[in-house]
Amino acid sequence: MKQAFFRRFAGFLALPAAFAAMAAMPAFANDAIELNSEVFVERLVKRGARTAIQLEKPKQVLPGDRLVFILRYRNSGERPVQDFVVTNPMPEAVRFQETLDGTEEVSVDGGQNWDKLDALRIPTGNGRSRPARAADVTHVRWNILQNITKGSEGKLTFRGIVK
Amino acid sequence: MNRKLRALATVSAISMAATLSTPVFAQAVGTASGTSVENTVTVQFQVDNIDQTEVTDSNEFLVDRKIDLTVTGDGSVQSRAPGADGSPVLVTSPFTTFDVTNTSNATLDFDLSATDLTAGVTVPGGGADNFVTSGFQFFLDDGVAGFDPATDLPITSLDDVPSGDTRTVYVVADIPNTTTNGDFGGVVLTATALETDGTAITASPTNVADDPNAVETVFADGAGATDGDRDGAFSAIDGFQVAAAALSVVKSSTVIWDPISGNANPKAIPGAVVEYCIAVTNAAGGADATGVTISDDLTIASINNGIQFYDVAATGAGTVPTANFLVAGDDCVPTNTLANGETVTEASDVITGNLGTVAAGDTETVLFRAIVN
Repeated sequence: MKQAFFRRFAGFLALPAAFAAMAAMPAFANDAIELNSEVFVERLVKRGARTAIQLEKPKQVLPGDRLVFILRYRNSGERPVQDFVVTNPMPEAVRFQETLDGTEEVSVDGGQNWDKLDALRIPTGNGRSRPARAADVTHVRWNILQNITKGSEGKLTFRGIVK
Repeated sequence: MNRKLRALATVSAISMAATLSTPVFAQAVGTASGTSVENTVTVQFQVDNIDQTEVTDSNEFLVDRKIDLTVTGDGSVQSRAPGADGSPVLVTSPFTTFDVTNTSNATLDFDLSATDLTAGVTVPGGGADNFVTSGFQFFLDDGVAGFDPATDLPITSLDDVPSGDTRTVYVVADIPNTTTNGDFGGVVLTATALETDGTAITASPTNVADDPNAVETVFADGAGATDGDRDGAFSAIDGFQVAAAALSVVKSSTVIWDPISGNANPKAIPGAVVEYCIAVTNAAGGADATGVTISDDLTIASINNGIQFYDVAATGAGTVPTANFLVAGDDCVPTNTLANGETVTEASDVITGNLGTVAAGDTETVLFRAIVN
């Protein structure tokens, strides 16, 4: 699964030069897990006849801009880690779009119930409901089932739009 | 990746459509500038099947200020007479109607400036501009539809327009009295975004490193009628069509009686009675002519040589015509009677006809009788 992640990311990382700056991950105070959350603005940049996607630091961020959130983790402890759950509530001003790997669960009710987006529904009153949409997502989380061995690391990515 | 890019493109298009349709609704456009967006991620995990302390990380940035606005004219020309102006400003003064909408994500002031539309450019809802509009004055609609200078306040700028709000602005203008029926003249209104203290807005430089904790300013407006992309301003055209009244006057006369022949083939001999008809015609397609008066001075010898008003009944052959004959009507038939409040009077051989309003396409007449000296 980790390899699958990296294959996907390899294609993604080929585009933005901004990622190079992320190679040196800052350390966070915990015995076992280092965690780093970053956000980038996704821009379409004309390069001659071609249009390239470029990730920028959140320099100028306006309503409608597309954001890429990247969560990086690393087991820097001495022991393998199990039942690894990464939870990310959506910021109020950001509308969820999608994750990069599609392995996430989401909540559309503030984190009370969790499932795949297409299995969730939004009550519309009088006992009726409609299918949940990406814009309804309030939380996104990943349950990583296998052990994360000492020294191994990974990245989780999702997209959102500034409301 | 391709699938992702396609999905991204689709979402992008939807986002743009939503932005364009937003001005229809009076609600804030997007997240307010200066809003802090903080993203927090939490990891729960176990080591040797024992729950460990959660690990969290967060990042934060501020939503920047997007300067965007639209100005739209009402799309139709207003019909006004040559020489109509805003001195003083009346309900009937020539005015154009514009909507200024703040599609920024912040409250802004807007400077207003108006210019004459370049000759030859089409006036929306009309034809090519061919006269100069001037003397612009701005009025802010008070929320009651329609221009009323008694309640719509004179302004030079719009103050504190919230994100998503629209203000209706009337631009009063002067129309030259040299214009003729069917002329078109346009007014270009340009609104320029200002800080809420009325000072100019400067876009943040793009070549300077960002402070993620500072709100930057980005011009995102499109090009209006005469302004450019991303200049913090927007412009639109609205205008006038001249509707002049084209009046023509025809004076005709018929000898209706003479003392010798009576009513049969009377001749204009001394003592004969002549019936005059003055017909005022307002050409079709123009404006109504109001306050139309006719004056015919029978004492001006070069025009009315040798006649005077027939105010005392004559004597002679046949049926003697009725004296003091003064009639207003809509043709030269002598039996016509006064209608629509028109009046015809005579004093000291001066005939005065007050015809009031002569509508476009109508003819109104004044009939009176004179006696040949």
